[in-house]
Amino acid sequence: MPQMLPNFSSSVKLKYVKLGYQYLVNHILTLLLIPIMVGISIEILRLGPEEMVNIWRSLDIDIVQILCSSFLIIFICTVYFMSKPRSVYLVDYACYKPPITWRVPFSSFMEHSRLILKDNLKSVDFQMRILERSGLGEETCLPPAIHYIPPTPTMEAAREEAQIVIFSAIDSLMQKTGIKAKDIDILIVNCSLFSPTPSLSAMVVNKYKLRSNIKSYNLSGMGCSAGLISMDLAKDLLQAHPNSYALVVSTEIITPNYYKGSERAMLLPNCLFRMGGAAILLSNKNRDKRRAKYRLVHVVRTHKGSDDKAYKCVYEQEDSQGKVGINLSKDLMVIAAEALKSNITTIGPLVLPASEQLLFLFTLIGRKIFNPKWKPYIPDFKQAFEHFCIHAGGRAVIDELQKNLQLSSEHVEASRMTLHRFGNTSSSSLWYEMSYIEAKGRMKKGDRVWQIAFGSGFKCNSAVWKCNRTIKTPTDGPWQDCIDRYPVHIPEIVKL
Amino acid sequence: MDLVPMFLYCLPLLCLFYNLWKIFDKRRHQNCYILDYECYKPSDDRKLNTRFCGEVIRRNKQLGLHEYKFLLKAIVSSGIGEDTYGPKMVTEGREMSPTLDDAIIEMDDFFIDTIDKLFKKTGISPSEVDVLVVNISMLAAMPSLSSRIIYHYKMREDIKVYNLTGMGCSASPIAINIVQNIFKTQRNVQALVVTSESLSLGWYTGKDRSMILANCLFRSGGCAILLTNKVALKEKAMFKLKCLVRTHHGAKDESYGCCIQKEDDQGFVGIHLGKNLPKAATRAFIENLKEIAPKILPVRELLRFILLTLIRKMTQKSTKTGAASRPVINFKTGVDHFCLHTGGKAVIDAVAQNLNLSEHDIEPARMTLHRFGNTSASSIWYVLAYMQAKKRLKKGDKVFMISFGAGFKCNSCLWEVMRDLDQDGNVWKEFINSYPPKTITNPFLEKYGWIQEEDPDTFCIPDDYVIP
Repeated sequence: MPQMLPNFSSSVKLKYVKLGYQYLVNHILTLLLIPIMVGISIEILRLGPEEMVNIWRSLDIDIVQILCSSFLIIFICTVYFMSKPRSVYLVDYACYKPPITWRVPFSSFMEHSRLILKDNLKSVDFQMRILERSGLGEETCLPPAIHYIPPTPTMEAAREEAQIVIFSAIDSLMQKTGIKAKDIDILIVNCSLFSPTPSLSAMVVNKYKLRSNIKSYNLSGMGCSAGLISMDLAKDLLQAHPNSYALVVSTEIITPNYYKGSERAMLLPNCLFRMGGAAILLSNKNRDKRRAKYRLVHVVRTHKGSDDKAYKCVYEQEDSQGKVGINLSKDLMVIAAEALKSNITTIGPLVLPASEQLLFLFTLIGRKIFNPKWKPYIPDFKQAFEHFCIHAGGRAVIDELQKNLQLSSEHVEASRMTLHRFGNTSSSSLWYEMSYIEAKGRMKKGDRVWQIAFGSGFKCNSAVWKCNRTIKTPTDGPWQDCIDRYPVHIPEIVKL
Repeated sequence: MDLVPMFLYCLPLLCLFYNLWKIFDKRRHQNCYILDYECYKPSDDRKLNTRFCGEVIRRNKQLGLHEYKFLLKAIVSSGIGEDTYGPKMVTEGREMSPTLDDAIIEMDDFFIDTIDKLFKKTGISPSEVDVLVVNISMLAAMPSLSSRIIYHYKMREDIKVYNLTGMGCSASPIAINIVQNIFKTQRNVQALVVTSESLSLGWYTGKDRSMILANCLFRSGGCAILLTNKVALKEKAMFKLKCLVRTHHGAKDESYGCCIQKEDDQGFVGIHLGKNLPKAATRAFIENLKEIAPKILPVRELLRFILLTLIRKMTQKSTKTGAASRPVINFKTGVDHFCLHTGGKAVIDAVAQNLNLSEHDIEPARMTLHRFGNTSASSIWYVLAYMQAKKRLKKGDKVFMISFGAGFKCNSCLWEVMRDLDQDGNVWKEFINSYPPKTITNPFLEKYGWIQEEDPDTFCIPDDYVIP
């Protein structure tokens, strides 16, 4: 663990010094203001009431001037409030919960694997080893077309999966928020690897009979971080259009992308990706300020595509037999850590309290001027956020981030449990994690949440939300029937 | 004590002026300018003439003579000329088994050629691009094509990138819409919009007629556009966006199902073009016009139209003859040039009739259809390039772009020309002087008109039909 003064920081006394320092720096304005206020009040008391009235009379202000000044002040206030950027609120969101009949326990998965890949026992072994260490549970789900032996991924089946996932999520969302189809002004759908013509956004418009002047966008190919890219687009659109609702649908359609070959590096996604989807309603209307769950504070995007290794680490290609699959390279973790570092460098100054920023600045100056051997100070992000939602990309990703950001196991509990219960649902996993934190009753008003997601290309995107009101444990939602069993202990290796 | 009241008045006034100036300044920085654009001209070895198309149809063992006749007729009467370009895998004979590599190479050829030229023309370096929007309807690869561009040009880390797919032939205005919205919230932004179509993986290999039609009509093409909202670059800009209107008729089932990608009875995937496509298109078109007309036409014209409609309503009520013709709104009062999506001869004719346009107005669209075919979302940029090459665009002119797409969408936008534009090295440069040609009827029709009447049982290929 990098430390400034390696010998003392474990001592208790220094801990109190650190706490005192943080309190001092974070509240410096209040602390400066108090003596000034005290000084002014003493002056006023000393003068006495008659002196005060005399000073007031000498200013020689009559009623007209007072009226003019007050109108002016009111006018200025209106103009100021009009020119402020609009806040974006998350009214509510809904996650898709697949039916229990589509679950894929380890035994099912391995049996199917043995039957399909009967000529390639090494690949079957490989899949078993991956599953053992994956951190997935026995209740993750795959769409019906993949349950066939061999799988039958037709376009029809892919469309059906899209319809079930997306429409269930949107129905649930509409029921929760009470919004009607004709109220939606902006629609953004993101699904990475399935993009039919007409687009999935046109499919949603068709099913719900949305208005003809709706602004619809269909993003694809952007990987597991596409959910946050859609949030960024929605934020920009809501700044430009006052008084609107934006519906964002994040999903990944598994049916057309199941790898049918036997090349090992490309079998990995088969083991990890599972069905899932989420629908989110954003608004910039004033009346939603009270009922919204969260307020969007920042979205920061980092794209490492200019680096060769980063670009090639998640790559869709054909194998030697012409079957299409996604190739995950071995240095995925290293690249993810690099991308995270770049993202942190941008988001740090926006969210960290002044105390952490000062420490970081001092170490930076110290390293440049005094001694380059000082270890760089990694800011303590636990000061800036109460909850962390790390994309459940795989056990290794969560471990790596936990180490890099120095998080406790309670902070990453939401991510680990989502990976266990739902698998890697790509862009919608962040919403399952938020749902977990709410289901556990941990979300209080004023809590700040940090969502981090990685994606092909290589991208690292993060979003910062602030909780608007204390959220009561929801009675519906994807965790409703199993939250009492969680958290579970996930062993390093599950013996199959 | 005189200073105090002075102070009390000056400070709020200054505050007020500052806030008002901030609002005004924000408006100034929200304009969307096109700095330059570049259309793609594929290499000449990818040209598809009618005879080659006929050969491609013959190569497909699934198709019989009936289909051959039908498709050849469609190609011959489509208005597409002899010099349009197709994907490499067709000219190399591999269209029955396209691979992912084919699709990626097709896109790479387009990006590297077009975007290089665009950066050279404008003098902007890739690291100055803040926003990248890519729309390629029929290919969703991982990493996305936008990542490919970022990788190739080593663009910045904090670039805002969006990859749109599945939005059909009308996707250009949608990409411009995203950029327009980003321009409203941030200052001094440069955006690159790349639009094209991937034909390799979407190639239909079955025998359903409505699906092969798409193979015959779509051609390779693409366009890259550089936009900005920097006030400093206003002098170098070519066009300014005045307004943009999008209409989405997906709510109606017939409109949604008239252009849909699906599997045929044998399991081959292709784009089905339904018979009610023209009707759905007309409906979306009319609604779009209804919404954009008040925004772009002068008040005089709007008043005239309203007056005429009222008069007609009143006279109809009293005389009940109903023979008076409907008043038609004259778009030429607010628009000088029309960029129509080159969806096919029928589309151009229908739009021309609805808007009451002359041959001169639709000449750019017809010539683009003849020389480049239906290049999907980028076709309107080729039409614009034709007008520029013919030196028709003068400062202050208004250009109206309209396109249709699957879903069913109809999107339109109005651009104002910022300075007199001359040819300036665009895609039409080498052959603009030979346009318009004396005739655009297909030569195949005269020479091989015999194909129309043949009886399948007695048909045999005549001796002078040499396979290329």
